[in-house]
Amino acid sequence: MSAIAETVHRSQARSRARIDGWRWGGRVFLVFMLLYTALPMIWMLITSIKSGFAAMQFPPQWWPDQPTLASYQKLLDPQNSVGQDFLRFFWNSLFVSSATTILSVIVAVPAAYAFSRFTFPGRNFLFFAVLLRNMFPAVIFLVPLFILMRAIGLVNTHGSLVLTYLTFGLPLAIWLLKGFYDNIPVQLEQAARIDGATRFQAFFLIVMPLSAPGIIATAIYSFIGAWNEYIYAYTFLSKNEQLTLPVGIQRFFSENTTDFPGLMAASFMMSVPVVVLFLVLQRYFVRALTEGAVKH
Amino acid sequence: MTILTGKAEARRRLQPDRLGVLRKIWEHRADYAYVLPAIAVMLIVIAYPIYYTIELSFFNTPPGLQLRDKIFVGIDNYTAILTSPVFWKVTSNTLIWTLGSTLISFVLGFACALALHRDFVGRGILRAILIIPWVISAVAASYIWKWIYHSDFGIIGAVLVGLGLTDRPPNFIDSVSTVLPSLIVVNIWREFPFAMIMMMAGLQTVPDQLLRAAKVDGANAWQRFWHVTFPHLRNVSTVTILLLAVANFNSFIIPWIMTGGGPSNASHIWITHIYELAFGRQRWGVASAYSVLLFLILMSLGYFYVRALSGNEQRGGGE
Repeated sequence: MSAIAETVHRSQARSRARIDGWRWGGRVFLVFMLLYTALPMIWMLITSIKSGFAAMQFPPQWWPDQPTLASYQKLLDPQNSVGQDFLRFFWNSLFVSSATTILSVIVAVPAAYAFSRFTFPGRNFLFFAVLLRNMFPAVIFLVPLFILMRAIGLVNTHGSLVLTYLTFGLPLAIWLLKGFYDNIPVQLEQAARIDGATRFQAFFLIVMPLSAPGIIATAIYSFIGAWNEYIYAYTFLSKNEQLTLPVGIQRFFSENTTDFPGLMAASFMMSVPVVVLFLVLQRYFVRALTEGAVKH
Repeated sequence: MTILTGKAEARRRLQPDRLGVLRKIWEHRADYAYVLPAIAVMLIVIAYPIYYTIELSFFNTPPGLQLRDKIFVGIDNYTAILTSPVFWKVTSNTLIWTLGSTLISFVLGFACALALHRDFVGRGILRAILIIPWVISAVAASYIWKWIYHSDFGIIGAVLVGLGLTDRPPNFIDSVSTVLPSLIVVNIWREFPFAMIMMMAGLQTVPDQLLRAAKVDGANAWQRFWHVTFPHLRNVSTVTILLLAVANFNSFIIPWIMTGGGPSNASHIWITHIYELAFGRQRWGVASAYSVLLFLILMSLGYFYVRALSGNEQRGGGE
């Protein structure tokens, strides 16, 4: 009797020890991943408040002797040429990303709704064709699109960017939104139809408001994608005043490669809008992103 | 009863099949209105470029992209690619880059998802911090890491020297032997959060009862993971790995900004190589032929992707 109690007790202790081992392993691992993730970003911030001279020291100053916001002031000052360029790049990025976001929501909402609700011939083929787009790299489309844009006179305009950003924004937008529509009960629309609404009215007045979280998530995704896009902007735009931030920063600093504090400050300011947007709305976003791949 | 169904059957068989499809399309014409704008955009900017790339791959085009002067060369562009030593170098780089980035990102992301699955204080904040690298632009990430790897003032070099491990800071991205692994570290930094998000969502679908039942049956933590959790996540894992593999195969920004493919092609992958051929050396025909090969590779990957997705859909529908 006591022997049995002892074995049970011992095995419980052992299993608790083993579980604690896993838990501690998990914690150590998370601390490692936290350092891996955060240290580069912290180093970016620390460098951005150094003077150009302080950044070029070996061994590096872990914390600057004289922290300064000079790099930020320079970038945000409309009086000097650096600030003028940076603010213009910022504005261009904002314009292109917003235009892309609005257009892709307008085009993706009805398409996603149709893919979710209707069964028309070719529906599956079209849906997968749309999805397959995201398999292909920008480079494949770059040469012909460059020729196309040149032919219709859109090279060196923001219109060429908005149009091409739609191509990679749309497939994901449609995919994300379809997941949301799939989860909205059809009965709600049917009830509205019985009350005399047309199919479009049922869609517009009943389904649209319910899918607002999905539309928000889609909009964020399009915005972040357009904000961070580099290769098309790098290829299609050549005039300094049209560049978006990712390209602008590069052109800008390839002339003055030693200004690492300025580069880090610019990288930080470029990251702020998308990170804030993401952190505020991440709940919707993560749900929408995984809805399609993981069925609940 | 049987006569009735027989009649209906006969009537259906009498209708020509092709006309049936057309009529069906006509009956659903209102449905197409919803997808038409999307399809139109996709046709202009996808179908046309694919066709044009294929055409261009059989021509030589003089610099400056003077399309009127292009010369038909048959499959010369393709043979030029396959016989060039750079091709094999770039291909092996691409394989190392894609497989290394994908597998390590997946394992790290999955491990983070498992470690974050249990509730604890600060979990939300920790998750948010871990996701940030995925959100910030790859251009910013490239510059941050370029600064970290800097051969004179880089922080990693300074730490290594400080610890007495080397005399002078190593040239992480300026040396042929270390450049590719160094870039992969940056890429993983940006990609593992994606795997983490996907696997966290997947973990939420693992039924608790199964895990509890396994525990009652005496399975330890590892056995529960290996025999219950992991098989349940097979579909999410497949989709995640495929998406990561495609994204890595297609990545451009990190290698392009950090090294431009150098030193001596040690960090050129297919995409950067194609870009350099087209817009750097103006060899549009060869670049197009490369693109067509890439297209074929990705189509076969796409086949698996669609299969994984539709398998997922079926399983999801059955539950």
